[in-house]
Amino acid sequence: MTSPTRPPEQRLHILILDDEPIVCKRLKPAFQRMGHEVETFTDSASALDRLKETTFDVVITDLKMEGADGMLVLAKAKAASPDTHVIVITGFATMETAKESYRQGAFDFVAKPFKLCDLLECVKRIAESRRAAISPQSSSQ
Amino acid sequence: MHRILDRLLAFRQARNRALPFTVLFKKFQSILERNNQILELMADMGDKLGGEYVFDRHYIEDAVDKLGDLVFKLISDFSILNQRKNTQLFLAGEHIRQSIAEELAGSGLFAKGRYIIPFDELSQEMFIQAGTKMASIGEIKNRLALPVPDGFVITSRAFHEFMEQHGLLAQAARAMDYWQSNDQEALKKLADKMQEDIRNGPLPRHLSSRIFFEYDRLLARFPADNPPSVVLRSSAFGEDGINSFAGQYETVVNVSRTRLLDAYRRVLAGTYAYTAWHYRLTKGYHEHEIAMAVGCQVLIDGAVSGVLHTYAPQYGEGHMAISAIWGLCAPVVQGNSPCDFILLGRLPPYELHSQTVADKPRRLTPAVGGGTVWQENAPTLRNSPSLTGEQLRTLAQAAMDLERFHKQPLEIEWTFDQNGNLFILQLRPLNFREVGDLPQEQLEEATRNAETIFAGEGFIAQCGVAVGGVFRVEDDTDLESFPHGAIMVCRHTSPRYAAIMHKAKGIITDFGSPTGHMANLCREFRVPTIVNTETATALLKTGDEITLDATHRTVYRGRINALNHFALVEEEVFEDCYEYRLLRQILQHISPLNLINPQGEEFVPASCRTYHDITRFIHETAVDEIIRISEKQEGQHLSAPKRLIAKVPIDIMLIDAGGGTSCQSQDRTVTVEQIVSIPLRELLEGLANSGMWCTKPVANLGSFMASLTRTFSASLSTPHEVGRNLAVIMPKYMDINLRLGYHFTIIDAYIAEAINDNYIYFRFFGGATDFIRRSRRAQFIARILTAFDFRTEIHGDIVVGRVKKLAMSRMAERMRMIGGLICYTRQLDAQMNSDADITLHAERFVEIMTNMLRGTDDISHPPA
Repeated sequence: MTSPTRPPEQRLHILILDDEPIVCKRLKPAFQRMGHEVETFTDSASALDRLKETTFDVVITDLKMEGADGMLVLAKAKAASPDTHVIVITGFATMETAKESYRQGAFDFVAKPFKLCDLLECVKRIAESRRAAISPQSSSQ
Repeated sequence: MHRILDRLLAFRQARNRALPFTVLFKKFQSILERNNQILELMADMGDKLGGEYVFDRHYIEDAVDKLGDLVFKLISDFSILNQRKNTQLFLAGEHIRQSIAEELAGSGLFAKGRYIIPFDELSQEMFIQAGTKMASIGEIKNRLALPVPDGFVITSRAFHEFMEQHGLLAQAARAMDYWQSNDQEALKKLADKMQEDIRNGPLPRHLSSRIFFEYDRLLARFPADNPPSVVLRSSAFGEDGINSFAGQYETVVNVSRTRLLDAYRRVLAGTYAYTAWHYRLTKGYHEHEIAMAVGCQVLIDGAVSGVLHTYAPQYGEGHMAISAIWGLCAPVVQGNSPCDFILLGRLPPYELHSQTVADKPRRLTPAVGGGTVWQENAPTLRNSPSLTGEQLRTLAQAAMDLERFHKQPLEIEWTFDQNGNLFILQLRPLNFREVGDLPQEQLEEATRNAETIFAGEGFIAQCGVAVGGVFRVEDDTDLESFPHGAIMVCRHTSPRYAAIMHKAKGIITDFGSPTGHMANLCREFRVPTIVNTETATALLKTGDEITLDATHRTVYRGRINALNHFALVEEEVFEDCYEYRLLRQILQHISPLNLINPQGEEFVPASCRTYHDITRFIHETAVDEIIRISEKQEGQHLSAPKRLIAKVPIDIMLIDAGGGTSCQSQDRTVTVEQIVSIPLRELLEGLANSGMWCTKPVANLGSFMASLTRTFSASLSTPHEVGRNLAVIMPKYMDINLRLGYHFTIIDAYIAEAINDNYIYFRFFGGATDFIRRSRRAQFIARILTAFDFRTEIHGDIVVGRVKKLAMSRMAERMRMIGGLICYTRQLDAQMNSDADITLHAERFVEIMTNMLRGTDDISHPPA
């Protein structure tokens, strides 16, 4: 823990997609503050385009949006890179949509409004699990 | 025709046919339930303003829908209960719903409200009517208690009406076409025409007389032989907010009464200056979002004036920068005259880091007859520092108060008058977005290598970052000596800390609720706060330098300026996000309680201005109604309502819904001995025999109780003041509504042999007393309920406790305890000296109660 800068493997590349700009506005600096790299989108078409260009460690997507909905974004993100962790956030949470999200491979399903720290915690868990996966010995040292 | 007649007759019959009491009682319970849901939803919406939650517009719409629906159903239930149409209540509800819908739609924003608002009545929430700049001036004056030149605002509504009357809004709408077709020439021509039309347009008569009336009222506060002139300042919707319109709009200095209306029109015309218009269109503003409120402020004849930047990272970390000049402020803003330049530390005592004194040959002063004029400075002044050390400290302190409140670096225009008094003239956010971003590594390194004192403890009451020295507050005397810019660390939350809110950079407490009153205050003052850390006072002592990152619930040792920098250059302060402002604005139609006194003339449906008013009115009236119904239905469905004869002067009407008493159905009174209902019997036992109903000092509670008796004296002992209290009982069931003074207690309980059915629901909420009293009472009650195994929640001033599925004997004990608690809380309205008293007396109460419950069943005097 004495390393002066966060090692690149700990820095996550995060995509945030929500058609409500306020969600991106609030999440972006919070993740930046944790040392992650963040890109935000308010329309799913541009987000999908970006997903084609590059691989993200974490995708945080709203469910109900104009155009491609969050479920499709989830499917595309997982198809493009199975290692991508997808967190679904929605203001229209039902048991069905939650189940469906998990079935499609979502890492977590969060109902809006949510506590900022809960989502940060969720991403922290992802960072930790990735670290453990990259250096499996590190935990036993 | 027949059908209509039938329906009318059916309605008459329905009115005449009494519903069975059980049905009406169910409606009554449903009213209580909805009342609870409404209050909880309201509290929930209020909690969202602290920044801990991320919510969007959908949340606001959803919450508002639910609330509107609940209120509508509440009124409908009430209509069945009192069998009237309650048109006024439905109208009030509809009116509120409509106002909220308008807020949501953003329509008709400027076409309503007042034409003139004096500064005394201004607050940040009025940014639509008063414009962002003047709303913030109001905030500085009324919330932060910093001096601003007195004045008033001619609102957006006045602008709107003037423009509408001359058909100018329609004319302005053409701009969008020119913009889209990139016809800049046409836009320029339109801009010139608009300005000319505005300058030449007569004001509606009522508007000009309102302006003069308020102007005369303002000047009447100054000596008649030396009346001040005024400054008219632009205050557009959005100006100095997220998008700074710095320098885009007009200010007219040194205006006399005769030129007042011309100056007003000149500021209005400035709205359509080509450069300003172009800037707006570039920023994506629509014409319907444009409104120009105008501030009319007394002109301060400044001896020395200038501009302060609260944050100046270009000169190194930890600086604020001041430019100062003799005379009025304008030359500093225009940047065309040499100024003194001073760098100060950002933390108390705001050390002087550097000072460059310029040669200042002349100063701008108000001219006789209007406008301004340059004057030569005396040789002694030219090369002297324009600000004294004391003035620098005063200015720095005010600046940091302002920055802390706005949570972003600010540019502040200020002046010291000829008597050396500081005035804040205006402020706007400083934007460091382009230049200010720290390398990510630097930030990470700063936080990683810093010593974490504690992390992950407690609840966030208000997000944000604070850097400063710790100041431990133990009691009220500490509050008096609370230093500016310190971080308060204390045991408990308390609304008493409102007194130092404007000085504190951050707050950390050991105990307390993020939904309590202090949390509301923290939000109001935007002080980064975490509560209930449990360890803060053990780990932090006065003088410790720390960095509080409330957003991440972390406290670091030392000043982490990088973190502070990160917070300061954040793209947008969340409180300024549209959704936060919208929610705050909408809550104005929901939460404030205007119907306070049930005995007052205002306590009528037509006076309901918020959803809170409606629920309060219905709750209060429903209790009376259910008693009236039971009286009216005497002999038909149930026994007559009976007055309880008890040792304590509590006026309870009983409705026996079957087997709750052993007396005859026609009896109009009932004694304690005749009560069969187990929950009521136990409650009365606690009321009468806990020894806590006395109005004389209770010996074992010493000075605390002595202080209470002064406030309470005999006022609560008359039934009229106590209000009508109602209990509906059955052998194992009780539902009781008590109103003592202005606060309410509701207990719904079922106690029987079968453990699984047993429950006690206790709810306490208070009405008219101030923040401090309500919050202390809520904390006190919550602590006691928790000590007796209740699952307890505090929402604002509501305390709810639930306990279920305990054995009958243990349930009975808890009912007796509640009896004692009711006696106690009835007296808790009075002053408690400090939060320590809450703990002390909560502990004593629990001790006395535990002894009583353990001891004999018949305690007629308080235990020694």
